[in-house]
Amino acid sequence: MKILRNKYLWMAVIAVLLSFLLMHLSSPERGEISIAENLIRDIFTPLQRGVNELRHDWGGIASILNNKEVLSQQIQALQKENQELKIENQVLRESQEELKRLRSLLDFQSDSLDSYALLPARVISRSPNNWYRYLLINKGSKQGIKKGMPVISPDGLVGQVGSVSKESAQVNLITDREVAVGAILQESRETNGIIEGRGDNNLLRMINIPYYSPVEKNNRVISSGLSVIYPRGIDIGVVKNISREPGGLLLSADIEPVVNFDKLEEVLIITSFKPAEAVQGAEGSEN
Amino acid sequence: MRYLLLFLLPFTAILLQSTVFSFYSIKGTLPDLVLVFVVFFALINGARGGTIYGFLCGLFEDLYLGRFIGVNALSKALTAYLVGHFQDRVFKENILVALVTVMLGTIINSLVVFFLALFTHDIFNVDMSIAVTVLYQCIYNTVLALPLYLWYYNSSYKGVLRPTEER
Repeated sequence: MKILRNKYLWMAVIAVLLSFLLMHLSSPERGEISIAENLIRDIFTPLQRGVNELRHDWGGIASILNNKEVLSQQIQALQKENQELKIENQVLRESQEELKRLRSLLDFQSDSLDSYALLPARVISRSPNNWYRYLLINKGSKQGIKKGMPVISPDGLVGQVGSVSKESAQVNLITDREVAVGAILQESRETNGIIEGRGDNNLLRMINIPYYSPVEKNNRVISSGLSVIYPRGIDIGVVKNISREPGGLLLSADIEPVVNFDKLEEVLIITSFKPAEAVQGAEGSEN
Repeated sequence: MRYLLLFLLPFTAILLQSTVFSFYSIKGTLPDLVLVFVVFFALINGARGGTIYGFLCGLFEDLYLGRFIGVNALSKALTAYLVGHFQDRVFKENILVALVTVMLGTIINSLVVFFLALFTHDIFNVDMSIAVTVLYQCIYNTVLALPLYLWYYNSSYKGVLRPTEER
């Protein structure tokens, strides 16, 4: 019975129980973060901004010191790319006009990207830890950011706002281990699957693909819009490798994301996205 | 002053890990400097103080991360307890001992976080890449621990981290 009188043992037991209670209460499904977390984040935010500015200034100095020859080469490459993009843009504008006319003929409701209201934000920091993959951005509840808003970049899908403080918001990346996104192949349209994060910023995994799917290497994968969290038709990645799951009925594929999450500096938040309400309850658990 | 510095070490670690280190990651793996400081503290100050310090540092990190608060607090407290438990049986002045301790501490801490994550998370995608990440983090932590321990050890016996007389 001597062991029961050890006060350190009791302190440890209470600390462990308290931690488990906190873990349960602070799962990502909760609506708002607590005062303590808000406070800590608001202390860190200006400091992280400062460190980022310093890093940016340093990058500026480095580029001035850069060789002129390298710079002129870069300019040439960019000019060439710019011209190609201009031509491509012209073609696309033509097809968009055509699409609009055809859509109005069919009375088809549009939900393409240009119908969303986008709010740009700057990335101020990343996850300090290997288990989570998220970004902290410099817009918060003050600017009208709410939990659950989808986040994209000009390249493709980035993630979803996980929690908001006054001055900043946490964006859970699609590479996070806790995130799953409904996806389809852009070409075939019929192949449904789920994109899972693997905690690795350069690799995603698509699972639950039926074995008869016409999935091939270098197919483009886009969001399906079935998981009410993300809008339809946003670029996710390119199929790199296809393998058969042990059961034999399903395939899985390695996906290379189109967004370079390590180098991301600016993101766009879709502030006007309203998912279909009928399925919201049923899919609520999908993060 | 000692307490201020003991708070500032994990604070700075989180600040740097969330900004600068993401550009110097080894294949996307970041070091865990908070853990390195917790292991140092436990190695020099023993199990009781180390466990409390580990718990508080982990809790602070958890509050910053803002989900599943308590995972890092528990894992770092347990790691610090184990390190502190063996601290009077090893030569602390030997830098190799400190490096091996940091390496083992990283493995123990990752194991605890992993099992707590399996236990608490609704979705948690598991594959072999976790083992690779832990391996890289071991190396990263150990390399960073080399200069840090030289400073920390000196500071703990002669410098600003020396415990005051009344303790």
